[in-house]
Amino acid sequence: MIELENVTKVYSNGVKALDDVSFQIGKGEFVFIVGNSGSGKTTLFKLLIKEIEATQGKIFVDGINITQLSHRKIPKLRRHMGVVFQDFRLLTDISVYENVAFALKVVEASSRKIKRSVPMVLSMVGLADKTKMKPTELSGGEQQRTALARAIVNNPPILLADEPTGNLDPKTSWEIMKLLQEINLRGTTVVVVTHDKEVVNAMKKRVVTLKDGKVVRDVQKGDYGHED
Amino acid sequence: MFKNRLMSVASISTISACLLVVGIFFAVAVNVEHMLGEIENRIGLAVFFNQEVEEEKILEIKTALEAKPEVHKVEYVSAAQAWENFKEEYFRGREDLLVGFDDDNPLEDSASLQIFMNDISMQKQLVGSIGALPEVRYVRQAEQVTSVIESFNSLVAYTSLGMTAILVMVSIFLISNTVRLAISIRKKEIKIMRYVGAKNSLITAPFLFEGILIGVVGSLIPMLLIYLAYDQATERLHAQFLILREYLVFLPVWTVLQTLVPLSLFIGVLIGLVGSQWTIHKYLKA
Ligand SMILES: Nc1ncnc2c1ncn2[C@@H]1O[C@H](COP(=O)(O)OP(=O)(O)OP(=O)(O)O)[C@@H](O)[C@H]1O
Ligand SMILES: [Mg+2]
Repeated sequence: MIELENVTKVYSNGVKALDDVSFQIGKGEFVFIVGNSGSGKTTLFKLLIKEIEATQGKIFVDGINITQLSHRKIPKLRRHMGVVFQDFRLLTDISVYENVAFALKVVEASSRKIKRSVPMVLSMVGLADKTKMKPTELSGGEQQRTALARAIVNNPPILLADEPTGNLDPKTSWEIMKLLQEINLRGTTVVVVTHDKEVVNAMKKRVVTLKDGKVVRDVQKGDYGHED
Repeated sequence: MFKNRLMSVASISTISACLLVVGIFFAVAVNVEHMLGEIENRIGLAVFFNQEVEEEKILEIKTALEAKPEVHKVEYVSAAQAWENFKEEYFRGREDLLVGFDDDNPLEDSASLQIFMNDISMQKQLVGSIGALPEVRYVRQAEQVTSVIESFNSLVAYTSLGMTAILVMVSIFLISNTVRLAISIRKKEIKIMRYVGAKNSLITAPFLFEGILIGVVGSLIPMLLIYLAYDQATERLHAQFLILREYLVFLPVWTVLQTLVPLSLFIGVLIGLVGSQWTIHKYLKA
């Protein structure tokens, strides 16, 4: 499903954020990417959604080498993967419902599909009674649920999250992780970048650890490992 | 939002100024063209002779021409006479303007026969046969006034071309800034659109549209101004240049606008397109 082959990323200022990284993520897997600050997690995330270009190496998504993908084909790749960020990235002057519908509108979905899918996904993330509220009127956890709903409303086969619980308290973090797990159980491949040691240790999923841009550990049903 | 409005107004004003210059030039040019045509018709032909040709020979030709049925009348104008006539006609009361010429006759080779036609449709044929005579230097279908107007016309052309070029550049720059501001206001939205896989065309379309809209509005305002001011301007010119009154035959405003409006729209839309496309390319490249 996702395959990295000797991927290196050197930023224009000379910082080597990823150094010869290779690993695979199978269809339907749930993977945590962990590591110290500056170890290259966000860089990896950005490479996967082709927000930045790899300096060397190949990245395959469903067998397609996305490092070779032309700019015109990026929208198609992005429709293939839902993304969630630490800072939610919601549009603050429209409602929860409209935020989720926005994702469908801009990929030119029919209004019938929008009317059907949006309430469904909002009730799945537990926001059925908050659809008319604006993001600013919601708690952090509810905002992240909205962002999650927006990420999966298109039914992408892959869900990528960069520190989705970074701004949330432990209890709320747990709820979001539960949701991610639920989404994974419905068949979506889920990749979560996180710092949240307790959550990682409790969930017993595959853990890939980055250090100074290298994969230093990759274990199934693992824990967070030791912080240096 | 307010800043964005202000930028739009600035862009529209510059395009308007630009196309007002274009419009005024165009209005002047088509009118001059029209007047030249009128003058040519009224004056008929002027036949100029080679320097060495004797006056006798010219008068011989004059007689031959007078015999033709399509010719109404022929007048002989010597070189000296031509210059006197010219001064008299165009510089009466403004002799101070002629100091540069001293006693030189700028129309030295201008011994000519002025032919007035009965039948203007025969003019072309007559020009052909006269032009073939060995003594004839050239045949002109209008008088000296033509060249005066023509040189005035090209002066106007160069000046407005220069001004237009500058204003076009300023317009493109301002539109580009307006669009850039509009993009920066919607930056977050655009980013989200990108993440969920919106096509690039969907993202750029509103900004392209804004640029084109600015171009359209900016090109229609000067047309309205010209429409409103045209009649007054032509009347003023009549009053100002009484000596030229019989030559100052202006086209009706609708005739001018008929070509000018599409031209102005075309330039305006082009400016809008270039300005916004350039910015989109720079700031919204996927
Ligand atoms: N746009 C950039 N230009 C230059 N260097 C960058 C850029 N983004 C990140 N870096 C550098 O690349 C390295 C890896 O950064 P990255 O953001 O991938 O780390 P991270 O693992 O996500 O850290 P954190 O846990 O703090 O989010 C860091 O040294 C960082 O300074
Ligand atoms: Mg990061």
